[in-house]
Formats: sequence, structure tokens, C-alpha cells
Amino acid sequence: MSLVAFSEQVINGLIIGIFYALTALGLSIIFGVLKIVNFAHGELYMLGGYVYYVFASILGLPPIAAVLVVCAVLFLIGMAIEHLLIDPVHRGKVERADEYTIMITFGLAILLQNLMLSIFGPWTKRPEAIFRGRIEIGELIVSGDRLAAAGAGLVLIGFILYLLRYTWTGKAMRAVSQDRETAEIVGVNAKLTGMLAFGLGSALAGAAGALIGPVFLVYPTMGVIPVIKAYVIVVLGGLGSVPGAILGAMILAQVENLATVLIPDTTRALAYKDAYGLVLLVLVLVFRPQGLFGEKVRKS
Amino acid sequence: MIDRDNTRQIVAGAAILGLFLALPLFGFGDYWIYILTIGFYYAIMASSWSLLVGYVGRISFAHMAMSGIGAYTSVVASGSFGLPLILSIPLAGLVTGIFGLAVGRLCLRLHGAYLGLTTIAFSEIVRITITAEHEVTRGSLGLAAVGLFETTDRVPYYYSFLALLVSSLLIMWLVLRSRIGLFFAAIREDEDAAASLGVKVVRWKIFAFTFSSIIAGIAGSFYAHFVQLVTPSMMSLQEMGFVLSMAVVGGFQNIFYAALGGVFLEILLEVLREIGEWRMTLFAVVVILILRYAPNGLFGELMRMALARRTRK
Repeated sequence: MSLVAFSEQVINGLIIGIFYALTALGLSIIFGVLKIVNFAHGELYMLGGYVYYVFASILGLPPIAAVLVVCAVLFLIGMAIEHLLIDPVHRGKVERADEYTIMITFGLAILLQNLMLSIFGPWTKRPEAIFRGRIEIGELIVSGDRLAAAGAGLVLIGFILYLLRYTWTGKAMRAVSQDRETAEIVGVNAKLTGMLAFGLGSALAGAAGALIGPVFLVYPTMGVIPVIKAYVIVVLGGLGSVPGAILGAMILAQVENLATVLIPDTTRALAYKDAYGLVLLVLVLVFRPQGLFGEKVRKS
Repeated sequence: MIDRDNTRQIVAGAAILGLFLALPLFGFGDYWIYILTIGFYYAIMASSWSLLVGYVGRISFAHMAMSGIGAYTSVVASGSFGLPLILSIPLAGLVTGIFGLAVGRLCLRLHGAYLGLTTIAFSEIVRITITAEHEVTRGSLGLAAVGLFETTDRVPYYYSFLALLVSSLLIMWLVLRSRIGLFFAAIREDEDAAASLGVKVVRWKIFAFTFSSIIAGIAGSFYAHFVQLVTPSMMSLQEMGFVLSMAVVGGFQNIFYAALGGVFLEILLEVLREIGEWRMTLFAVVVILILRYAPNGLFGELMRMALARRTRK
């Protein structure tokens, strides 16, 4: 493989990795604060794609503004979901909380998928991209829509890291994720923090869907494969670990990208592409459930 | 009191069974016989899934994958190797049993969301592998399967699926009312406490996975020889969502209610054909509402109300 082809693969891997990280980061924040795996995360990502399509392509908003609208809408939807469906668990209104949260988020996934299918039909949509055209760096050619989307994603990831590290809200989230009761004792509103965390996670998923929509198209089941990858990433990095999620995303994207190039039989290599990460997921969960960077989980 | 409640439940069960037995005799259209047969398949899937979730407290998203493994095993064994169905269907049960054993063994330490993720991954790996190995499985085109019977008449299929449903419910019920059912409940409520009281937690958790997988595998092979085509889409997560909806709407804490949920939702799916894709949207809303406000499910709540009224008298 020539150096140019190799660098192209690596850059593509980095771009895909940023998209993966956006989705995985939201999943990780939700798990960290609320201790639940959101099985509807892929559908929030899909919803982001559709909201973006409505605002950017139908209503004609400038793409960047439309991405911000997506973040705001998904943030509110996420807060509402937490308030209506997840919070009852913490108030002790639900028996068998473990199974409840899994099934209710899975049910939500079915709901959102079929709702979008009913409204928009099964056909793919291609919303407006932030930037069209190609960018040439020496001999390297990268498509502009991907690079612009990845740049916007990078800004968002930076913003989230800043938020979690330096703001009061971010500190509250980290406190609740360490110990909900103690955080409440020192004056953190755990209920509100939980809502904010779910809203933030949803906004991130939605932003990812909005940014990727123009590249990989928008359709009702667009979230199924990316969210499974997000599971692989957060499990790889340790559920609830934010740096783990980002590093896991980069590792998975590079592994997938290079593995498809290195395996000779191309059709089969492509067919199995989505399976590599899943095998990794099973192996990590079975042999090292705390992930590469996560803390050991005590059994409840 | 408890005995009288039990009697009432048995009477209700017998009445429903009698109704299903008599339906084809009343000149019910071929179309509805077909729908009900599919409904029985889903009833077996929903009830064997609820055995894991409702009784042992172990969630699994790999149940449709097990059904698919059974279906493909029987279809390949009977199609490519010429095995008669009377051997290929038990073989399907055996193979899914081995897969269930392996998954149960691997997932021993996992529970809750971790188990959900692992079983989703397993399910997708199976689906991707079967789609990718197109020399054997013809990929997403699917494989043609021979029918259970020579005739195109739907009635023999109807009765054989009903028989399969009743016998699997009976076997599950016998297991659940034995000591094993108590072990399951103990594991569900508190695994460590159960172990400390001498329940062989490891053995019964693996048993539960294997047992429900065998039922799913045999149901899957019956299904394949009924619709006479297997495709990887029968193990998609959408199908899994459908089975989950059936179990939850019927009542996933009871195998009989879950089975009724399966037949009920399949019928509803046909009745509401006019509203198209809105059907699944509607079902999903109902699933969420039931999970949140009536975790015993539709039939669980109905039975509870019926029993409560009687007690008040």
C-alpha cells in the first residue's frame, strides 16, 4: 500500500472516529450519571438527522444554525425522556429497575424508528452539507463535507470536555456519577443533573446524526449500526469513562478501516466489517467488563 | 383462596385452548388460519423469552438469533444433506441448545445492561455471519425450505403449531412449578443470597439459557418449514423488538400471558393493516405505557381485576 493511500485511510479513520466519539460520548455521559445504558441512543442520533433535514433542507436554515437547532431540540427531548421514563427509577416507583430501563429504552427505540418511518417513509434523504467540494492537501484528497462535519464535531467534543471539567454543572455531573447520594448531601440537585446529563447525551447523539446525515444519508434505521459501534466503544473504553470513549472511538475506527484494506477477499471483508467490533465487544464484556480504562463495577 | 384462583386460571386456559381448537371447524378463512399460525410461532417465542426475563431476571436480545440458528440448521440439514424433517428438527433443537449453553456459560458473570449488550452483539454477529457466508446460506436472498406437510392446506400447519405451543407451554409450566422454578425466583431476587442458601446458581442460569434457546430453535425450525423460506431478517433486532413488545403487552412475568400477547399482537397487526406503519408506532407507545404503569401486562392486569372482584364478593 502506498503512503498516500495509507494516509488517506488514516485520515478517513480519524474523521469516522470523531463521528463515533460524538455518539459514544453521549452514551458514556448518560451511563456515568444515571447508570443506565440508553438502548434508544441510535434513534436519538437518527432523530438528529431528521430534525437537521427539516431545518436545513425544508426550512432552509444555514447548516451551522440548523446543527445548533438540532442540539437544542434533542436536548429538550432528552430532558423530557429522563423526566418521564427514567426518573421514576430513582424515586423507587419501578420494580425491577434493571430490566425496566433496558426494556423502556428499547421500546423507545422501536417507537422513534417507526414514528419516523410513518412520517417520512423508508426512503433516504440527503440534507444540505455544511460545506461541499474537495480539499487537497498535497496529493491527499479529502471530501469537504466530511472534513467540515468532522471539524464541527471536534469543536463540540472540545466544548463538552470543557463543560465537564470546568463548569459547575460539569462538576455536578461528575459528582453524581461518582456517588449519587453523597452528591445530594453536599447540595447537588441529582434529579436536575440527571435530566441535564440525558439532555446533553441526546444533544450529542443528535449533533452526530445531523453532521453525518449529509454524508451517509438520513433514514429510519440509520442509527442501528452506529449505536452498536458506540456500545463497542464505550465498553472498550470502560462504561462511563469520557477519555475512554474518545480513545475507544479512535481505536475502533482505525481497526475497521485498516482491516477492510488488509483482508484480500474484499466482498467478504466488507460483509464482516461490522462484526469485528462486535466480537471485540463480547470479548471485553466477558473477560474485562470494566473496559480498558473504566473502574471495576461493584455488583449491586 | 389460592386454590380457587388457580382453578379459575385453568378454566380460562382450557376455554382459550378449546376456542383455538374449534376455530378451523367454523370455516374460518385460510387467511386467518395463516395469521393465527404465525401468531402461535410468536407466542412460543414471547413465552420462552419471558421465561428468561420474567422468571430468572436475565434479559436477552439473542432470542431471535436462536430461532434463526434453529431455522437455518434444519433447512440446511434437510435441504443440502437430505435429512428427513423428523431428524433435522431435533437437530435444530440440539444445535441451538449448544449455542444457548455457550452463551449462558459466557454470560454467567454479566447481568442487566451488560448482558443486554453482549446478547445484542451475539445476535448481530450471528446475523452478519449468516448474511456473509452466502455459499451456504445464499445471504440475504434466503434459503428455500421444504414444507412440513405435502399439502398446501393450512389446517395441518395450524394444528401442529398449536400443538407445539401447548406442549412447550406445558413443559415450561412443569419446570417452573418444580423446585427449578423456585431456584429461578431465588436467582432473580438475589443471586448471592440464593447461592449462600445452596442454590446452584451457575447450573440453573446456564440451564435457563439452554432451555429457552432449545424452545426458540425448535420454534424457528417449524416456522422455516411453514413459510418455506429462511432469511437473515428473521433475526433482526426489529423482530426482537416485536417479540419484546408481545411479551410486555401480554405480561412478561407470566409465560401464559406472554403467549397470549404474541397471538393478540399478531392479530392486531392484521386488523390494523389500514394504518400501515403507524401500527408499530402505536404498539411501541403501548409498550412504554404498560412498562411504566402496568408492569403485569394487559392479561396480567385483566386477571388481577377479575380475581380482585371475586375476592370482594
